[in-house]
Amino acid sequence: MTPALWLIFLAGLAGSMHCVGMCGGFACALGADPRGAAATWRRHLIYHAGRLTSYCFLGAMAGQLGAWLAAGQGQGAEPSVQAAQRVLACVAGALIIWVGLQFLGLARPVANGPVGAFGQKLARGLSSLVSAPGAAAPLALGVVNGFLPCPLVVAFVAQAVSAGGAGGGLQVMVAFGLGTLPAMLAMGGLGLWLRRGTAPPSGGVQIVGMPRRPRSGGAVPVDWRRHGVRVAGGLLLLLGAITVVRGLWPASGVHALMGH
Amino acid sequence: MNAPAPASCAHCELPVGRFGRCRELSGNTLWFCCHGCALAYQVRHGERDEPEAAAWLIRLGVAGFLVMNIMLLSLLGYTGGLDGGDAGLRQPVNLLLWALATPLLLIVGGPFFASAWRAGKGGGITTDTLVAVGVAAAYGYSAWAVLRGADEVYFDTVSMVLILFTLGRYLEAQGRLRAMRSLVPMLQAQRAQVRVVQSTVEGDMQTLRPVTQLRAGELVQVLPGERIAVDGIVISGRSACDESVLTGRPGLQPKTVGAVVRSGSLNGEGPLWIRATVAGHSTRWIHIGRLVREALAAKSLAGTSVDRAAALFLPAVLLLAAGTAAVWSLQLGAAQGLLAGLAVLVVACPCSLGLAASMAHAIAIGAAAQRGILVRGGGVLERLATLRGVAFDKTGTLTQPTLEPVSVATDDASEVDVLRYAVALAQASDHPAARGVLQMAPRSGAHVQETRVRAGAGVRGVVDGRACAIGSAAWMAECGYGLGLTLAQRLPSGCTPLFVAWDGRVRGLIALRAAPLPEAAGVVDALRRRGLEVWLLSGDEPAACAELAVRLGIPHWQGALSPEDKTRRLQHESARAGAFAMVGDGLNDGPVLAAAAVGIAVGDATDLAKESADVVLPRGALAALPWLLQHAAQVRRAVRDNLAWAFGYNAVALGLAASGLLQPVIAAALMAGSSLLVVWRSWRAERRWTADAAAADAGVPVIELAVRG
Repeated sequence: MTPALWLIFLAGLAGSMHCVGMCGGFACALGADPRGAAATWRRHLIYHAGRLTSYCFLGAMAGQLGAWLAAGQGQGAEPSVQAAQRVLACVAGALIIWVGLQFLGLARPVANGPVGAFGQKLARGLSSLVSAPGAAAPLALGVVNGFLPCPLVVAFVAQAVSAGGAGGGLQVMVAFGLGTLPAMLAMGGLGLWLRRGTAPPSGGVQIVGMPRRPRSGGAVPVDWRRHGVRVAGGLLLLLGAITVVRGLWPASGVHALMGH
Repeated sequence: MNAPAPASCAHCELPVGRFGRCRELSGNTLWFCCHGCALAYQVRHGERDEPEAAAWLIRLGVAGFLVMNIMLLSLLGYTGGLDGGDAGLRQPVNLLLWALATPLLLIVGGPFFASAWRAGKGGGITTDTLVAVGVAAAYGYSAWAVLRGADEVYFDTVSMVLILFTLGRYLEAQGRLRAMRSLVPMLQAQRAQVRVVQSTVEGDMQTLRPVTQLRAGELVQVLPGERIAVDGIVISGRSACDESVLTGRPGLQPKTVGAVVRSGSLNGEGPLWIRATVAGHSTRWIHIGRLVREALAAKSLAGTSVDRAAALFLPAVLLLAAGTAAVWSLQLGAAQGLLAGLAVLVVACPCSLGLAASMAHAIAIGAAAQRGILVRGGGVLERLATLRGVAFDKTGTLTQPTLEPVSVATDDASEVDVLRYAVALAQASDHPAARGVLQMAPRSGAHVQETRVRAGAGVRGVVDGRACAIGSAAWMAECGYGLGLTLAQRLPSGCTPLFVAWDGRVRGLIALRAAPLPEAAGVVDALRRRGLEVWLLSGDEPAACAELAVRLGIPHWQGALSPEDKTRRLQHESARAGAFAMVGDGLNDGPVLAAAAVGIAVGDATDLAKESADVVLPRGALAALPWLLQHAAQVRRAVRDNLAWAFGYNAVALGLAASGLLQPVIAAALMAGSSLLVVWRSWRAERRWTADAAAADAGVPVIELAVRG
């Protein structure tokens, strides 16, 4: 019941242009390790391991939740289960389309999400994680980062709910997470590496602090990122449409686009 | 807020579009394209957590990583992902689970084990003991199962129990930190730096030193806008200081040469040079900071009633768990027995119970502290809520520091003359009686010469060429003026006399008495409407007490009491009617404050009175007393509701667990749910109190302790 994983991967890849702006800040702020390039790579990979683990967990849980919602007490082949799964697919598809429209600037995001008192508390906590030394802090940062209210993550978790099981949901989020990886790695590790050539050498203290540039996404031109976000919006619309259509007409020709 | 939307997001620089959102952050209006960006911006530009909370967050994050992996693997196992053709995968996966659970046990379980161990050495059982025993049992059993090659492993249960309880602790720490944060200026005293000025032959030299190393007598410079870290006297400079943190009095107090400055106050527009009168490690600020810290310290927060309940409850739970495990082991085998026993342990853990009281108390203490009211611990709040009566000291507690004039009597002189000489001489003195006299008539243009002031006795001088004097009877005799009997007898009862004399004898008598604080009558009325007995216990003469009691509507009073008498009287009334609070300020109030169910020191209470008090009200905040009592009652209600909820829940869940109907994982999830509910209820209650208080008594000064930026 999962749309082609390659489509999700692509959406993640394009959508990560949004991530570069938002979460890239964390990756950048993690900065270099004074002990050299290998330690820097390790620091960043640990962070991404934490982030992807959160995605995987969300995906599997969402998939399992979807399976429970759909199944009730029945078995997978009963008509009621089929109907429930179709309803889930429609809801998930609508959610994905809505997020896609947000990316294209055509829909209004949720009115007043978690960026209140709780958001401030979270921000304080994350701030201290970014600057803390050692391997534990990047891992914790990644884990918490994975739970941040990112519209992309919301969209794909919705997709995972309709995936029909823990395994399916896991696959969805793994595909998405891998899609975001290249750009994020480029942001965190390579971007910083490249910049070191132009920036004057600095002491170990400054490195774990804020990057020299005032903006997080500075390493990737704004124009690229804007196009990336548009492409992601388009892909999300497509993905949402496929999910909805699959929910409405399970036997339609959309199956041609799917991996299964 | 209605600034035109700029083109791009303040964080990621992408165009914000038509639906961009606007936020006010640290004084700037910023636009963001989405919530995530607003949050990320705060992460990069905002404040950081205190190290303690950050350490908890790291712990939680790493634990989250391990737990999520364990749950993923277990979930795939449950849903049959591993059953298919690869039954051989079972064993490696179990080994992997073991490998993941072990660091988790060390990182997250460590604090629980350490705490249980500490308690156990003292022969005590705490909630941590339950967690430690339960987790260790499940872990040990699972490890043994892996070694045997058996299938039933419960590492997922171990991890869920640990992470959920850790989350509860994190939330609790956050709540406490939040309460602390509103008291930041109080708690910074220890870390303050002072600019010490030393005179050398080349001129003045300045050095920056921690305040704790400052000696009495040293000279310190304080720049405009700085917080003053020393108690001392201004020897140069002119400024105005905000002392609201210490006294609760809003506004700026002028400070010129010779003025006393208090540590903790905020310097205004001018630099000040201050000679420290006490050593830097024993300033009032540091003292208050220590008291606040103690009040918020973990142990004192747990209410006594909760401790008592836990002392009975926990051993019973351990026995029940062991019994359950034994019974079910015999019937269904070791695995089922262990699970049932574990479920009992987990579900019984009264963490929501402990959380209920400590969260509510921490929040309430924080709210009180924002009004400058120091409450020493959650136990005080509990006692405040169960008071049957309140006893007041008179002088300085219910009365103003000045005296007010009541009447004038004359002997062979006109009232105009009496007032003319009295006012002229009173200008030379700062005594409360002299200030009272000055209220009677405007300052005269009389020509005053050769004034001599004897502190506490009187003033003599030459007014318009005529020698005269004002003051006590003893001062009259010393100055050689005869005092006729008739004049002294015309003093109304309960009043302090001020004699006025010229031309060889005493010719006038001004009767003065202590004026009640403007808010006193309202406070007494509010307390009586709450159903409390109100008493006036004073060392002053009975007539003065009776007069004040009638004026303020206090039904019971007693005067001429020594400190021991006061204590006895209070104990007598407490034995008769129930718990009494004592409100007082003077040095002689120390014993009775300590003896009362709740000792409340008020105003410029002396240090002894503050030491023996459970509550310290800043000067001018007597009006906050009814609010504090109401606040305490609300807190008590909230705690009681929470406790009833947690106990009822525990009873039901314990029954289910003991009968083997509850999986440990589900028990842990339900437990965490109840903890979260308690935390949420506490937050909600706090918001409601704040709103209520703001609406109800706008008259009480709300002291803004937090210094932003």
